[in-house]
Amino acid sequence: MSEQEEELEVQALQRQLDDAFETTRPRPGFDDELWLRMQSSRPAKSRLGDAFAGFWEGIREVPAVPAAAVAAVLVVAVGIGIFAYSGLGRGGGGAATSSALSEGASRNYATGTFGRLPTPVFNGGAKSAPTSQGLADTASPEYLGPVQLTWTGKLDLTITTAPVFRYHEPSTNTADQFATALGAVLRERPAGFLGSYSASTYTLKVRGTVQSPQSSPAFFIFSSLSMPPIDAAGAGPSDLADIFLAQHSLSPQWSYAVAVDGSGDPVKVVYQRQFDAPGYGPAFLIDGSARRTGIEVDLSNNRPVLVSGLLPVSLDVASYKVVSAADAIQSAVASSGQGVSATPAPTVKLTQAELVYVLVPAGDHSFYEPAFLFSGSFQLDGKSFLKQVLVPAVDPSQRSP
Amino acid sequence: MPADRPPFEDIYRDYLGRIYAYVRAQVGTSADAEDITAQVFMNAYQAYARFEARNTTPSAWLFRIARNATLDHFRAHGRRERLRRTIEHQPMPEEDPAGQAEDHIQYRALLLQVAQLPERQRDAISLRHSGLSFHEVGRLMGCSEDAAKMLYHRALRALRELVQKERA
Repeated sequence: MSEQEEELEVQALQRQLDDAFETTRPRPGFDDELWLRMQSSRPAKSRLGDAFAGFWEGIREVPAVPAAAVAAVLVVAVGIGIFAYSGLGRGGGGAATSSALSEGASRNYATGTFGRLPTPVFNGGAKSAPTSQGLADTASPEYLGPVQLTWTGKLDLTITTAPVFRYHEPSTNTADQFATALGAVLRERPAGFLGSYSASTYTLKVRGTVQSPQSSPAFFIFSSLSMPPIDAAGAGPSDLADIFLAQHSLSPQWSYAVAVDGSGDPVKVVYQRQFDAPGYGPAFLIDGSARRTGIEVDLSNNRPVLVSGLLPVSLDVASYKVVSAADAIQSAVASSGQGVSATPAPTVKLTQAELVYVLVPAGDHSFYEPAFLFSGSFQLDGKSFLKQVLVPAVDPSQRSP
Repeated sequence: MPADRPPFEDIYRDYLGRIYAYVRAQVGTSADAEDITAQVFMNAYQAYARFEARNTTPSAWLFRIARNATLDHFRAHGRRERLRRTIEHQPMPEEDPAGQAEDHIQYRALLLQVAQLPERQRDAISLRHSGLSFHEVGRLMGCSEDAAKMLYHRALRALRELVQKERA
């Protein structure tokens, strides 16, 4: 064979290789399957799902405060300066709670009808969280040492009672009904979930309350690549999220504020759930990292890639006596000095406090109980932190030991 | 997200097929190629926040991950054994009907022959025909652009001999 013939053969082989590599592709459907797997396996910190899954994750149980009015205090320190939420303040419409609870009824509920309430049990411990409300993966150094707390703010508390909400643990039937209403079909019941369902453009997973780490019943919609972008000229992320939720009958039926984090991809729109505390006003539901939670819509190129949020459950409500402002402050400040450290504990001035709601899992029934969230910033080694202290609001006399 | 970094979904759409073909040429079977491709994109997805567009192209970045994943696969399973099984099963119909439609028989055979080449030759051909420049091939393989060209042409001739032997 001449050199020229040989060269021609090599060139022909190159063309064949080009064609082979150009036409060799995975089987149909593989791209969607893999995309769903990737969405399902997203790092916990990068999705709201973990706000539920890790409701109390990383939060250390604080030693009981001797003779204090509260049994447990949750301390969370959050790195500041990396909060990325914006657009707060748009109040949502709808009833105060679920369909089982009318706005009017919430004003006249009986006192203490749930009996003594379970006391929150914190799995983790004090967390100096390098978090950004869970909205970015910015890494800040954690601070886990003790602090000296003082209170220099103003807490005007005129209420003496606050509502406590209780729900029955959702069943597979509840999950199936939720999925059916969305038009999704049951595929399997994987461990840890009430069901996994499929629809034409997404996979839906529904989960009940998780005892440890505590997290609320939740749904997760993982979109497939065939999920179309939302077409709405001039619409911002929150408008697009509104449209998606409305299209799927998932619009919150509770009060909320909307927060948008557009600092990364995907853009995150969070509907932060509020509970109405008569005499006080709306109080946000927070997770174990003190993040406000509810429903999150993650958008990439105007396309919802992940939608997750609280599974609708029917809530009962009862009124419970709450501790006074002075007692709450005392409990918060009394959480100073936890842990052991050779170096002097930094002094932190708590300057703000707000009423919030936290999940307390309790088997067949779980509760959303009021708590006070104290916060104050401090500097340590040139870095800014936001110290947050969570104090149960329900009077200890109405809680089980 | 930095302005110079495209959404990961775009990268996924653009490169899934190319990465799969590259991996397929390395391992020879669609099942292994799917497993490794999945691993490549899972790893890439997790690492995308650290991807620096100014330092490398998405293409070079992804193929580096794919190359490492393929090497890991061979380390874990033993390349020789996998290849023996691949060749032994070559005449057998694909178990997966979708897999049958996936490949042209002729090209599948050619990629199997690529898979039988020595590692560096196989790599040079696969990376080059996945659309990478010789400069990128050289960087990935730790050699100069000229060395990558030479390696590639040597690999082509070795492949041609394999094809001829197969025909004979």
